[in-house]
Amino acid sequence: MRNVERLCLAHFWVAFAAFALASVLGTWQMWVRSPLGANVGTPSLYFMSVTAHGVAMAYVLTTFFIMGFGYFVAVTALARPLPGKPWAWAAFWLAVAGVVMAVVPILRGQASVLFTFYPPLTASVWFYIGLVLVVAASWVWCVLMLVAMTAWKRDNPGRPVPLAMFATVANAVMWLWTTVGVAVELVFQVIPAALGLIQTIDAGLARTLFSWTLHAIVYFWLIPAYIAFYTLVPRAAGGRLYSDTMGRLTFILFLVYSLPVGMHHLMMDPEHGNGTKFIQMLLTAFVSVPTLLTIFTITASLEIAGRLRGGRGVFGWIAALPWERPMVLATGLGFVMLGFGGFGGLINMGYGMNAMVHNTSWVTAHFHLIFGGSVVIMYFAIAYEIWPRLTGREYVSLAPLRLQLWLWFIGMMVMTLPWHWLGLQGQWRRVANFNYADPLIAGWGPWVIVSFGGGLVLLASALLFVRNLFVLHRSPAPAIARPLYALAVHPPQRVPAALNGFGLWNVLVLVLMLLAYGYPIAQFLIEPSPAAIVHRMQ
Amino acid sequence: MSDPRLSEPHVLDQPWRLWASIAVVGIVLGGILLGVVIIPVVQGRGAGLDAYTAICRALGILPGSPARPQPSDRTPPTPVSQVAWTPDVLQILARANPERGRAKVLEVCVACHGEQGVSVAPEFPHLNGQSGAAIYKQLHDYRTGSRTHPQMTDLAKALDEPVIADVAAYYAGQPKRNPNPVTLAESPPAIVRLVELGGPNRNIPPCAACHRPGSGGPIETPILAEQGRSYIVSQLQLYASGERRNDVYARMRIIAAQLTPSEIEGLAGYYAAGFR
Repeated sequence: MRNVERLCLAHFWVAFAAFALASVLGTWQMWVRSPLGANVGTPSLYFMSVTAHGVAMAYVLTTFFIMGFGYFVAVTALARPLPGKPWAWAAFWLAVAGVVMAVVPILRGQASVLFTFYPPLTASVWFYIGLVLVVAASWVWCVLMLVAMTAWKRDNPGRPVPLAMFATVANAVMWLWTTVGVAVELVFQVIPAALGLIQTIDAGLARTLFSWTLHAIVYFWLIPAYIAFYTLVPRAAGGRLYSDTMGRLTFILFLVYSLPVGMHHLMMDPEHGNGTKFIQMLLTAFVSVPTLLTIFTITASLEIAGRLRGGRGVFGWIAALPWERPMVLATGLGFVMLGFGGFGGLINMGYGMNAMVHNTSWVTAHFHLIFGGSVVIMYFAIAYEIWPRLTGREYVSLAPLRLQLWLWFIGMMVMTLPWHWLGLQGQWRRVANFNYADPLIAGWGPWVIVSFGGGLVLLASALLFVRNLFVLHRSPAPAIARPLYALAVHPPQRVPAALNGFGLWNVLVLVLMLLAYGYPIAQFLIEPSPAAIVHRMQ
Repeated sequence: MSDPRLSEPHVLDQPWRLWASIAVVGIVLGGILLGVVIIPVVQGRGAGLDAYTAICRALGILPGSPARPQPSDRTPPTPVSQVAWTPDVLQILARANPERGRAKVLEVCVACHGEQGVSVAPEFPHLNGQSGAAIYKQLHDYRTGSRTHPQMTDLAKALDEPVIADVAAYYAGQPKRNPNPVTLAESPPAIVRLVELGGPNRNIPPCAACHRPGSGGPIETPILAEQGRSYIVSQLQLYASGERRNDVYARMRIIAAQLTPSEIEGLAGYYAAGFR
């Protein structure tokens, strides 16, 4: 483990502390939106809470977790020390400082702008500068990941980069592309407006630039879960990875297709032509390809494990899998949530169907199910898997771990399925309270209460998760050394350069981005926007 | 290729570069063909659009959806206010000069609204620390006849637009006092609820959603704090009766018409709280 335990643990604990606090806020929000909590709190308090919840879950939990996991992968998969460890620590403290700078204005009520950067909502400039620092820290991480892989390749010419590291670097490269959109929006539009340097802001351009970031960022959060699917799960299940090439292709497809698709968040926006929306909708359809490849490959890998363990028949191998192991259990539960969430996502993506669910609770339910559900449950499983390696101690019993994963799954399903339904009924998102006295809205009440029940289960699970990790630090049992990464059925001896690096794919991303976003962004410079989408800033 | 492991690297890499590029670029070109040419032209035909117009609309160069022609409305709009927050108007507000505004205030406004915006009688609104955009809109509305008042109409007509902005900037910059929490706490709970949460079953949004400083309501919303009691009562009554009608989208007319007389009194008391 080459002396990065403290670095990884520092990142993970910041991530999970933010996660635990945000879980409490999320449950409170579910309560005050339900008939049970009507008249509790004020709308300003609600939006402050949503902002804190969103920032903690979407930016702090993810960024710190991904950075910590990346450092872990770099030293374990490449089996060499982390280059530039002082830089990693500097980036950590920079990110912590950024989080503090962003959280203070939120708590003072000066940044209740939710966690999206949609003008004319404008927060205190410290909020934006704080988040910029977090992003800058993640860029340091990206560079360190690239340096680690490049140095390894130099010392191991012709050999394939281990899949876990290849995927981590794919994520780092994608993240560098991803952050360009929001960085341009913040530096040229939002921060000058927050400082009072400009009086108006073109909301159309701002939304377009944010859409550049908005969808790829979700894949940035998701890729650690996929890294676990490909490199940790087959080993945990006692089998082998069905195909190493499939894994490389999956991460490459994420890099290529997660970026030129963000406009599917702007389907109902007036500033773009239907043709450009159609192109990005079509490209969005291709993002489902790597997920389908993964479902196939991981199911095949689990089948190998099940049959090695004596499973027989068409479905017998499923029962033979070691479900008592947290990583295997989390994968099974995660796949169920990925299935529901994925089909919901296909509906969001379809231009026509999007009109039906746009800006309703359907969307909130969708991203809670797919990110909060299938991705975060894999974060739990990863943490459970590597915590003994970081602390040198072993769990006394796996039962609390399994209970926590089950609670998370049940809570997430109970919370999000009614939430989807409410979205179809037209329940709008991002409002502080509902008038349940209105006969059109009264029927939503019972489902909102069911959904809140799911929220309570999730809170219990979140607190149990933190407890499980905390207890391990004091566990009497020493860690048992065992292999971490799965071998492929046919371990790669030599792969084409295209599957061992990102040069070709960066060129293709550039071509796709020019075709998908070139004119949609250039139009704002060619012709001034109509006054209706140029918003005044106060 | 018998065994790829024995091949030279470039033999393996060339087809990857070629086919990956063909696949990725082919997909996006196919998308462009479908989304910008085929679908708009075929759907546009049904809506009576020629191929060129349909393609331009799909690209976003011409406005409109290619699926059906947009209905045209020949009725000219009759806005309740002539003020539109265009970038030009915002520039005028941003360039306002409070010093020039002060000179005009001492010449005209001081008699009723006071030198620092503290009015001489409760039926005149206090203007100290008020939102500049709110003062600008009301003066502009008096000038164009969107709002009328025996004295204000003629006074405002004598001012031109930059002067209005100067006066607004001057009063906006005057110090305001914060409401006194002690007197605020004396407000009946029903009134506090109306301010903070509104009356959802009567479609009344919370007053604080727009009238609290920094709440993010429409730009022209006045800040309500330490305001004269009888001024607020009279304005809510004028809105309720429809006599005052310069509120965009009839926002205040709809709200005021729902309020009971005692609520109007209570709200006026709430917003007068803390004033000397």
